[in-house]
Amino acid sequence: MINLIATAESENQAEALLEAGVDTLYVGGHPFGLRLPRPLDLDEIETIVRMAHERGKKVTVACNAIMHNEQVSRLGGYLSRLAEIKADAITIGDPGAIFTLEQMRLPLPYIYDAETLVTSAEQIAFWVKRGAAGAVAARELTLTELEEMQRKLTVPVEVLAYGPTCIHQSGRPLLTNYYHYTGLKERADKDRGLYLRDPKNPDSQYPIFEDEDGTHIFSTEDLSLMDQLQELDKAGLHTWKLNGVLLHGEKFTAIARLFAAARDAVEDGTFEPAGFSNRLRAFQPASRPLGTGFYLKNPDDVK
Amino acid sequence: MKIQIKKPEVLAPAGNLEKLKMAIRYGADAVYIGGQAYGLRSRAGNFTYDEMREGVQFAHRRGGRVYVAANMVTHEGDAAGADQFFKTLQAIGVDAVIISDPAMITICFAAAPGLPIHLSTQASTTNYKALEFWKQLGVARVVLAREVGIKEIREMRRHTDVEIEAFVHGAMCIAYSGRCTLSNHMVNRDANRGGCAQSCRWKYDLFEIDGNTAKSLIPEDEEPFSMSAVDLSMLHHLPDMIEAGVNSLKIEGRMKSIHYVSTVSNVYRKAVDTYCADPEHFTFDPAWDDEIWKVAQRDLSTGFYYQVPTEKEQLFGKPRKIPKYTFAGQVMSYDPETKIATLQQRNNFGVGEEVEFYGPGFVHFKQTVRDLWNEDGEPIDRAPNPMMTVTMHVDQPVEPYFLMRKK
Repeated sequence: MINLIATAESENQAEALLEAGVDTLYVGGHPFGLRLPRPLDLDEIETIVRMAHERGKKVTVACNAIMHNEQVSRLGGYLSRLAEIKADAITIGDPGAIFTLEQMRLPLPYIYDAETLVTSAEQIAFWVKRGAAGAVAARELTLTELEEMQRKLTVPVEVLAYGPTCIHQSGRPLLTNYYHYTGLKERADKDRGLYLRDPKNPDSQYPIFEDEDGTHIFSTEDLSLMDQLQELDKAGLHTWKLNGVLLHGEKFTAIARLFAAARDAVEDGTFEPAGFSNRLRAFQPASRPLGTGFYLKNPDDVK
Repeated sequence: MKIQIKKPEVLAPAGNLEKLKMAIRYGADAVYIGGQAYGLRSRAGNFTYDEMREGVQFAHRRGGRVYVAANMVTHEGDAAGADQFFKTLQAIGVDAVIISDPAMITICFAAAPGLPIHLSTQASTTNYKALEFWKQLGVARVVLAREVGIKEIREMRRHTDVEIEAFVHGAMCIAYSGRCTLSNHMVNRDANRGGCAQSCRWKYDLFEIDGNTAKSLIPEDEEPFSMSAVDLSMLHHLPDMIEAGVNSLKIEGRMKSIHYVSTVSNVYRKAVDTYCADPEHFTFDPAWDDEIWKVAQRDLSTGFYYQVPTEKEQLFGKPRKIPKYTFAGQVMSYDPETKIATLQQRNNFGVGEEVEFYGPGFVHFKQTVRDLWNEDGEPIDRAPNPMMTVTMHVDQPVEPYFLMRKK
């Protein structure tokens, strides 16, 4: 069974995504969840969980921040509330958060998500031994590696099927610092829509923004594994995330609907990638090229 | 009120055996080195097992310790042979290994039980619960993320007694260590496996997309966007670090020179000893600062220890002018009767130049080169050949392994 996960930015979009055929919604907010389309508070999350459960669907809540003392000291209360409202799972990347969860013995499964650091089956096995119910694989892995990892593991390994991936998190306000240096009067938040370009690579355009967790830089491409969905399924990689951190409202929901239809086709054995890919290209914003990132590279190409 | 402190370790980097010995001679309590595999500095001079053996013996005879960094974030297959690696390190007598990858931790526990593990800064440990997690697992020490402030360290100390190591000096990642794959995405080099291309220090355009056209935000004639951090130095704030309960003060730089490693170790040794001998009456000696600037490569700052770094802690505009000193020679022997020193040349120098000698224990003095002889006792004007042996008059006594620098 394929698990199609999509980020949700609001109660409205959550409802639309459930209608679209998404299996699991991914939500969260500051100060515990990283890089979400919109931070949601506990009341909103509670509504979304209820909505999902009514339809037999699930909700995972992001608790994957790199936590400082202040955050980790408040985490316990947040986790208790998530357990009360019956969130189905949380993502965690900080061992301090895992320690907190262990001590509290809450009925709240966690999925290990330390982003760039999750690169082998043995690492994931370490966290499974400490209670992890799954893991989010680093986006810098090749399909060859992902397939081998999943083969060695009993828990699901999540791959990014669609969307941008974060390639840099700084604790510093890098845009604000630059603005101060140059005297620019500018915004640094996500909605401002700013990009970096490496002059040596004219095609590069890396989205950049600041929030409470620091500065985040994303990949030039929106990853899309639409053409590889059949291979993912064959490789035993059944957990697919669609990340809408930079794409809002119906634009993202339409893409989620398309992936849900693709999932159905893969499960029915009727999947034809060309048609789906063409439709995806029609939905895709002009400013965001589609690509396959590291998935189709040879593991030896990246050293 | 009496200040309660525990004297911390001064931990220096050593890119090769010669640097290891210098770091120990110049006052480091411990050094960290890399092996032939599993590290993050593929371009540093990494140690063979024989060199490690010699380094460990050298350090242990002088009461020092040697840690081996194996802090790569492994992909499938990368950890092959790591069990044998850890076993060999344990047999050699290495004092600890520095690891960030849980897969490597698992292997190390199984293959070399009893070999202490230090959790690398690559794991970005930023809270006391994480310290407790690693302690319960059996990790002996945690190297904190560079994003942790002094107040946070004090709070960590109240919650846990696990050993804390923190950076006090050197270059810094601008990202949370381990959470940056700019190199991977830009040049197919894996930052977490030793391939970091330092893409953060490049220059970038910053722009918005208006319709279908990119519109740059960079003001005309203005500095492009960049993310380059100035270096860290906590030399002026060691009492804060020590009173907060940091057990090991880490100096960055396995790629750095002998000149750098000896100088920085010497300064931190002296400052830590001075403070710990009499914390109540400690005063900062400006000579320590002068000395540090002789090997500084960038401007210096206190990183995240007191505040979130501003634009002043990034390299924008013209870099600060730092007087450049060159490592010119190493003392091999000295004859107090004739006041003649024998030196091994490390960079071109000659008669008439003002040089500076320095030695362990923070000994320094200036000297003008009045005369110079080659190996055959013939007078020469300059010492142009790398590693050539020369003799010269030195007015104050020097000892083997004193070093000579020039401006």
